[in-house]
Amino acid sequence: MTDKSVNTPISLASVRQILKKRAFSTPTDSVLTFVVFGALAWLAWSLFDWAILRAVWSAENVAQCGKETSAGACWAVIDARHRLILFGLYPFDQHWRSTLAAVAIVATVVLSCIPLMWTAKRIITLWILGFTTYYLLMEGSLLGLQQVTTDGWGGLSLTLFLFSSVVLLGMPIGLGLALMRRSEMPFVRGFAVILIDFVRSLPLLVTLFTAAVVIPIILPSWLEGDKIWRVIVAFALFFACYQAEVFRGGFQAIPKGQFEAGAALGLTYWQTLGRIVLPQVFRHALPSTINMVVITFKETALVIIIGFFDIMASAKAAFGTGEWAPHYLEVYVFVAFIYWAFIFSLGQYGEYLKGRMAISER
Amino acid sequence: MSKADELRLKAKRRKILIQTGLIGLSIVVIFGAVVTARTNLQSLGLTSGFGFLARSTGWDYSFSLVPKTIMDPYSQTLFVGFLNTLFVGFIAIFLTTLFGFIIGTARDASNIAIKTAATVYVQIFRNIPLILQLVFLYSVLINMPGPRQAMSIADTVFLSNRGLMLPGLSVTPGVAVALLLVSLAFGVFLIWRKSDLLRGLLTWGIGSILMCVIAAIAVRPEGASLVSVPELKGLRFRGGITIPIELLGMIVAITLYGSAYIAEVVRGGLAQVPKGLTEAGQALGLTKGAIWSRIKMPMALRSIIPPLGNQWIFMMKATTIGVAIGFSDLFYIVSISITQSGQTLELIAILAGAFLLVNGGLAIFTNWLNARMKLKAH
Amino acid sequence: MIKKMTLSGVAAAALSLLPAIAMAESPTVQQIKERGTLLCSGHNGSYFGFVEVNDKNEWKGLDIDLCRALTTAILGDPDANQIVPLSWAQRFPALQSGDVDLIIKATGWTMGRDTELGLQFSLPYFFGGTQFMAHGELGITEAKDLDGGTICVEAGTTIERIAANYLSTIGVEHTMVSYESAAELRAAYVANRCDAFAGWGPNLAVLRATEIDNPDAHVILSDQLSSEPISAAMRQGDEEFVDVVNWMLAAMLIAEEEGITSANVEEMAANPPNPRVARLLGSEPGMGERLGLRDTWAREMIAAVGNFAEVYDRNLGAESPYNLDRGLNNLWSHGGVLYAPILD
Repeated sequence: MTDKSVNTPISLASVRQILKKRAFSTPTDSVLTFVVFGALAWLAWSLFDWAILRAVWSAENVAQCGKETSAGACWAVIDARHRLILFGLYPFDQHWRSTLAAVAIVATVVLSCIPLMWTAKRIITLWILGFTTYYLLMEGSLLGLQQVTTDGWGGLSLTLFLFSSVVLLGMPIGLGLALMRRSEMPFVRGFAVILIDFVRSLPLLVTLFTAAVVIPIILPSWLEGDKIWRVIVAFALFFACYQAEVFRGGFQAIPKGQFEAGAALGLTYWQTLGRIVLPQVFRHALPSTINMVVITFKETALVIIIGFFDIMASAKAAFGTGEWAPHYLEVYVFVAFIYWAFIFSLGQYGEYLKGRMAISER
Repeated sequence: MSKADELRLKAKRRKILIQTGLIGLSIVVIFGAVVTARTNLQSLGLTSGFGFLARSTGWDYSFSLVPKTIMDPYSQTLFVGFLNTLFVGFIAIFLTTLFGFIIGTARDASNIAIKTAATVYVQIFRNIPLILQLVFLYSVLINMPGPRQAMSIADTVFLSNRGLMLPGLSVTPGVAVALLLVSLAFGVFLIWRKSDLLRGLLTWGIGSILMCVIAAIAVRPEGASLVSVPELKGLRFRGGITIPIELLGMIVAITLYGSAYIAEVVRGGLAQVPKGLTEAGQALGLTKGAIWSRIKMPMALRSIIPPLGNQWIFMMKATTIGVAIGFSDLFYIVSISITQSGQTLELIAILAGAFLLVNGGLAIFTNWLNARMKLKAH
Repeated sequence: MIKKMTLSGVAAAALSLLPAIAMAESPTVQQIKERGTLLCSGHNGSYFGFVEVNDKNEWKGLDIDLCRALTTAILGDPDANQIVPLSWAQRFPALQSGDVDLIIKATGWTMGRDTELGLQFSLPYFFGGTQFMAHGELGITEAKDLDGGTICVEAGTTIERIAANYLSTIGVEHTMVSYESAAELRAAYVANRCDAFAGWGPNLAVLRATEIDNPDAHVILSDQLSSEPISAAMRQGDEEFVDVVNWMLAAMLIAEEEGITSANVEEMAANPPNPRVARLLGSEPGMGERLGLRDTWAREMIAAVGNFAEVYDRNLGAESPYNLDRGLNNLWSHGGVLYAPILD
């Protein structure tokens, strides 16, 4: 419906027509339009005034913050503490590594949005490459740099690390669970159904908390691993159980006859699956998958509760000292904007894909 | 035996082998976990079992719907946490559904200004993590003026950094809970009767309010005035209903975030209603409200309810973030109990069990609702 | 009399054999040596004076210095440790699961923790009691005046229990709000979410001195709810590790008694003024072997972190922004209650 208007060239006359129909069709409509747009404009102006016009920008001018002369935002706190927010407890003189590592992950995500990368081989290579680059840079010992163990990782880089490792690990598990759920073997299917439904009815926080606190008790010590890995595995399992349902939706869109056709051609189950069915499943599941990825990015923020120094925790630390305590608002706005920018762009990309696929299916 | 039979037999054997392997593996993993847990607990000198539930806790927490003391046993404290989770969860579900439908409808509005406002709202609140919104909002709320400088409307409603104080009917907590349950049952009854959406909502709202007023007049405590108004005495407000700031923060944050999500679900549902139907309604001279409640919504509901049910379950699960601002939901109570009593495994099992129960119940309710709506549309 | 003499003679003979018997090394210490790092408890944020993060993202504080001292004692390098950030509520599960080797984090020694949680405690290295701090504008001087007020505490701590217990004993009607992190709690108190803040005395004093704009705007109420011994907590079943931690603490106190500082420790080791110093600093062999460590562990430790007085002054006392009096936390010979076991 909306794409029709996109395709027609915009002329002044058509704008007038749209406005007449959609903003001023009746007197009440006109009043409504003015009031609502007025309110929106006022909000936008107040925000602009606070965030830009009256703001204090530099840490050197911190004394002006909160004074009568500038009732605006005190971005000085970001100027002074942005490295803590972005990099957490990472060694101060090694922050360039953390920056490069974060860039590697962002580049991986951006590249995987390009249709050129959408073959199994390319996308898997891309993600493993991006992830390895991140790990080598952050950990450092294999590149002959100063070693920084996972305890020292923090801020935005840690958030990105959690996000990418959960998606990387969760995607194959999710596919496996989806296949198990479709299996003809009752016990295999039952196993998948119970696991998926069980995990899905628990809050993520409970799953993560269990991984952090309970797993060490029920696993022998040689299997325990670092807390961060336990949490990532649990998070990935959570992601996988949701993603399995997304894949299931993709499978349902595929006619059953395709497996039979594959068998008739003399292909084995795995060949039919890998070459014929899965590419279509992925295509169908793509918008929902992007939605899941977006949700996962948002939910990484929960790890603050189980004691990780992610961007939320480092933001709190940034205004946790007496000097900066009054400027919590600016820090939260800054962090919220970072999250928003990531999530909004991913979400818009998902919408775009959905629209594109709707067109191609017409 | 033909070759095909042989292959089939082979495949059958393989299937049995795989399944036996899976079952065996599950048993080994579970058994291994139990054995390790036992030895680990023993070597740590921890006692296991549910005996601790009868011990008194000795610590206090912020919010409870029923009277509490620090002498309460763990079992009761956990139950209070469970009630709090349900309480916040159901309030959030109610409010997000209400606002979600309003905003979702606004997203579909013909007026461009309303549509823009709704879109801006959805794009802001849907794209920031809930927990960030919650701690952000909480920081803003606790930095409001204190009780002595509380903002007030006509000296009956007060907002301070301790909470929102509202005038309330003088009823005992027991009566209040009973009223809440009756109101809920009334709502379910209306859905069961397949009443018209708008009329149903109105009937439910007015009926609930009337019922509360009648109950307040009938069972008013001796000597109390009908309406109790909050009043500043000493360090805090007394009288009326106090919504502690933590509870307020939870409700507002979950509602802001959840409404944006439900709005998208509603918009998706409305977008699937064929345009011809709306135009037919217009041709018949129906008002916009009638088109919405008689034609669009009933059609859209069929595709709205399944994802809506998932959102409801999400709201219920989202209550666990109360721990970030000190709201005593079930997760918070369990988390503190683990530190104070050391009974990690038992408490986690209780927590998981509670969520399975509630979310299972919600899923059943959604399915029931879905079935009712489907029948109606036929 | 004669019988007793012979008995003690036998005992002495038995004792003299002891050094010859190789000391069973603690499994925890063994693990630490294999790993090459000591895992200590940090905090999710800053607990001022004890566990703090500075602008350069480094940890400091009294508890962090004790961790560094222990690291030096075991591994010979004060920086060979990892500080694992933990909330109050997570510290014991983290210790039980092996995420940290021990907890040095303003942790009180309680019976419940000692028995039900399966922990073992070191000698107390600090004493502090639970108190209330309230906003001065309320005009309150003691806890009785808090009637109807809101009190904030940290969740999962002994303070939570002590404050709840005390308030119900004196019959003060109140609302209690508890937070999982110190930062959250401090923010809530500063924002006036609560009328009073139940905390650990030294911590309240530190907060009042630095974290709040105007110290006079806050009063610490006269009620002294408890006096808690603060100890390092370890997992049960490794007595040798407890010995190492205890003697690490003892060595810092003995060093203070003997006037050994990080500045003069090498000189003292070269020319020990008395046998006790000689033994402590490893100028005379034997000290290390008894604990499964190097003979020079105490010397290296004091060179790296200093004696107890230096650590206190640096983090809480005169050289810190908090400028807290040592009070109870002074040597017994200076009016405090800290003392070291006998070094023989």
